[in-house]
Amino acid sequence: MLKYIFKRILIFIPTLIVISLMTFVISINAPGDPVETMLNQNVGGEGRSGEKLASEKTYNEKRKELGFDRPLFYFSFTNKTYPDTLYKIPKKAHRETLQRLSYEYGVWENVSNYYQALRTLEFKIFEIMPSDENSSKLRNIKDNLSSLYLTHDEAEIKQTIESVEFDIFKDNNIKKTAETDFFNLKNNFEHLIFNKQIINRYLPTIYWYGFDNQYHNWISNFIVGEFGKSYIDKRPVSSKIFDALKWSMILSILSIIIAYIVAVPLGVKSAVDKGKTSEKIITTGLFLLYSLPNFWIATMLIQWLGDGDGLGWFPTHGLGELPESAPYWDRFFETAYHFILPLFCLTYASFAFISRQMRGGMLNVLEMDYIRTARAKGLKKQVVIWKHAFRNSLIPIITLFANIFPAAISGSFIIEVIFSIPGMGQLTLQAIFQRDYPIVFTVLMFSSILTLVGILIADIMYAFVDPRISFSNKKS
Amino acid sequence: MNNLFNLFNRRKKREAETLNLQNNNESYWKIVRQQFKKNKIAVYSLRVVFIFVFIALFADFLANEKPLVAKYEGNIYFPVMKEYAVDLGISDWQNEFRNVSWRSLKYDWVVWPPVPYLPRNIDVSNTWADPRGEQNVESLRWRHWLGTDDLGHDVLSGMIHGTRIALLVGLVSMGIAAIIGIFFGAVAGYYGDEKLKMSIITILLYVIGFTLAIFYAFGTRSYALADSIGTSFGSFLWEFLLSILLFISIMYVFKLIASLIKKLPFQVKEISIPIDILISRLIEIVVSIPQLFLIISIAAVVAKPSIFIVMVIIGLTTWTGIARFTRAELLRIRNLEFIEAANALGYKEWRIIVKHALPNALSPVLIAIAFGIASAILIESTLSFIGVGVPAETITWGSMLSKARAVSSAWWLAIIPGFAIFITVTIYNLIGEGLTDAMNPKLKK
Repeated sequence: MLKYIFKRILIFIPTLIVISLMTFVISINAPGDPVETMLNQNVGGEGRSGEKLASEKTYNEKRKELGFDRPLFYFSFTNKTYPDTLYKIPKKAHRETLQRLSYEYGVWENVSNYYQALRTLEFKIFEIMPSDENSSKLRNIKDNLSSLYLTHDEAEIKQTIESVEFDIFKDNNIKKTAETDFFNLKNNFEHLIFNKQIINRYLPTIYWYGFDNQYHNWISNFIVGEFGKSYIDKRPVSSKIFDALKWSMILSILSIIIAYIVAVPLGVKSAVDKGKTSEKIITTGLFLLYSLPNFWIATMLIQWLGDGDGLGWFPTHGLGELPESAPYWDRFFETAYHFILPLFCLTYASFAFISRQMRGGMLNVLEMDYIRTARAKGLKKQVVIWKHAFRNSLIPIITLFANIFPAAISGSFIIEVIFSIPGMGQLTLQAIFQRDYPIVFTVLMFSSILTLVGILIADIMYAFVDPRISFSNKKS
Repeated sequence: MNNLFNLFNRRKKREAETLNLQNNNESYWKIVRQQFKKNKIAVYSLRVVFIFVFIALFADFLANEKPLVAKYEGNIYFPVMKEYAVDLGISDWQNEFRNVSWRSLKYDWVVWPPVPYLPRNIDVSNTWADPRGEQNVESLRWRHWLGTDDLGHDVLSGMIHGTRIALLVGLVSMGIAAIIGIFFGAVAGYYGDEKLKMSIITILLYVIGFTLAIFYAFGTRSYALADSIGTSFGSFLWEFLLSILLFISIMYVFKLIASLIKKLPFQVKEISIPIDILISRLIEIVVSIPQLFLIISIAAVVAKPSIFIVMVIIGLTTWTGIARFTRAELLRIRNLEFIEAANALGYKEWRIIVKHALPNALSPVLIAIAFGIASAILIESTLSFIGVGVPAETITWGSMLSKARAVSSAWWLAIIPGFAIFITVTIYNLIGEGLTDAMNPKLKK
């Protein structure tokens, strides 16, 4: 038994690695620059070179603090145009443009020279004191230069460079300071397009980056329990998730318990009474319940029973607003009152599902010979049903736990959102809309782990109920 | 010549023999069909699906802002039909029809579609219009029979066009899931852990070939693929097909090399690949990924939300059920006599799997697909209900339902789309039940 559990946990490892890789891939493709989100500002638009330098410095420091100045992964398998030192470029948008340029023209060295020239020119321009006659031109040049960071289209770059040239040579002051750097930029770009090496796109290359990379950093922090900080309110992700998980777990566990308590007797009854009218009504009702989308029922319940325009029987929002100082039982009943509608919406679907399965399992068992024997030797019907049939039909119900448990986690997601319960669902959805990715990915990892644990528990319970199952040579 | 003819004849005969063996299978399908027909509810559900398919196919003719037929300034036009041609790029609108409000044109005579609105048409004078109440419309012709929402979008029109999305979600996502699931399930079930034997050199060649194929088909073409998503779905499909073709051809080249090496005089010891274990592990991994969370996180990250991305993600995460069913069936079938016979006849393994084993394994897969469609539609409407992954301008049943949350007196926005989702999910579940009963007549007794 222990050996089996150990083996199952060993299987966790590849699963978690796959999930973490998936999460990581999603996270690096997420739109927006995380450092900028964290700093709540757009770095380096206006101002003098000193300010620009200062804001770039804060950007770089933050980037270092968040660990984004490392390579992404242990290795990369790409084509030869992929720049192996790309991660050293601070801004995400710039990195994307440069990678694309490198892909288009094939030689990273030339792209890098072009980028350096662009940056030198930009700093020179920022050093010029704006005066009355040149301020509009300076502004034009700055805009054009910053748009150069974001485009990879040859015609567009050429056009932008031309208009920069036009502006620079109109003003003597600007011309004096920036002329050489401008020609440097122009030459570098021409060098880039004339030395195109498309062949490099088709040469596979592998770079090895070592262990000091973002993925390694993230996953090892995750294992130790460091989930990072929320981008929005800078609270640690772990405390935010813990607060939310509490409500989700209460909801899910309550709903599972209620569902099992109601569903099991109902399933047994409908199996025993097979063929009667009452059974047919129950079965049809269960089927319809099972297909009812719970967000629909929730919406309608809020409309009809809620405290808006409806009958006003139930609160529909949050968990009540009693202060911490209120007596415990008052708070308890307030919360319980708020829980009624969400719990109902969460429970009915799984309850219908379980009792349908219970009915199926029971029907199978009731056909067995030993049931007939038991009846034939004169045992009471109730005894046969509950002592002989019921226990044997429990097996499929218990395996259901593996399905119900994860379903309850993600199932409560939408119900929490509708009823504004501060659980995992609301937390995640808010995080998604605010692009607060540390929370999103921690939740994704967490719910995967919970799912795995649920499956494991179901497997273990399976063995307890059915002694015929041995784990030593179980075939999947 | 004679020899050749003989050969041809022998081949015919062989095929006839296998056909004979498969006749068993035909009668099995006949039984399934008969059993299914006995289940009245399932048959009616299937009819409802046909009605939905009809609505989805002709949605543009049922609800549209353009007239079906109209005589305008002496000429007869078919604007709805014309729109198809314009969309395909065959034809273009006449100048007088560009950026016009179709309702305000002075027609000689005109035939409007039953519902003269598109889901996206905004009717400012009728926001939150109650289906039963007074509406600010010229005549009954322009009445919003099922009411409107906050911007005056016609609900009935949204329902009609939403049918298209709901059915498409089921079709596309389950199509993807079926392709992946049947492939993995068939390979795992047919080969098991010991049947697939390869020499180390071949394995190595395949691994290299696979890596290179991924590299050339998707790695170097990643920008082409990403750019095409931005332009249109059609161009993306084209680029994607090109990538797939490239992938297959590279794999084929390596397969040829492998078969050439096999012909070399020296022998390399063959080892069996535990493909069943590998695929079972893969299924286990995919199953333990929380689907809704994954879909929501991916959908939130995609730069341009699109209903097709949602469909693809649903397909990529729901194939495990189909794979399990196929695997279990093939584990059973591969030991049956007709497979042995086909093996003895020297057919290629792929041919045996595709032509002989799979057709017999498809029935449980159908059940999984029917239930899968129901859950795919449910997932999609959940996503549009919370507004993740589906673009705001796409009007689906779920997005209409979510508007009911804002104003609790808008009962029609809660009942109508919700009921449509419920009915669709129910009928697919009923069909699934009917199929289960039809294939397991024992339970039916």
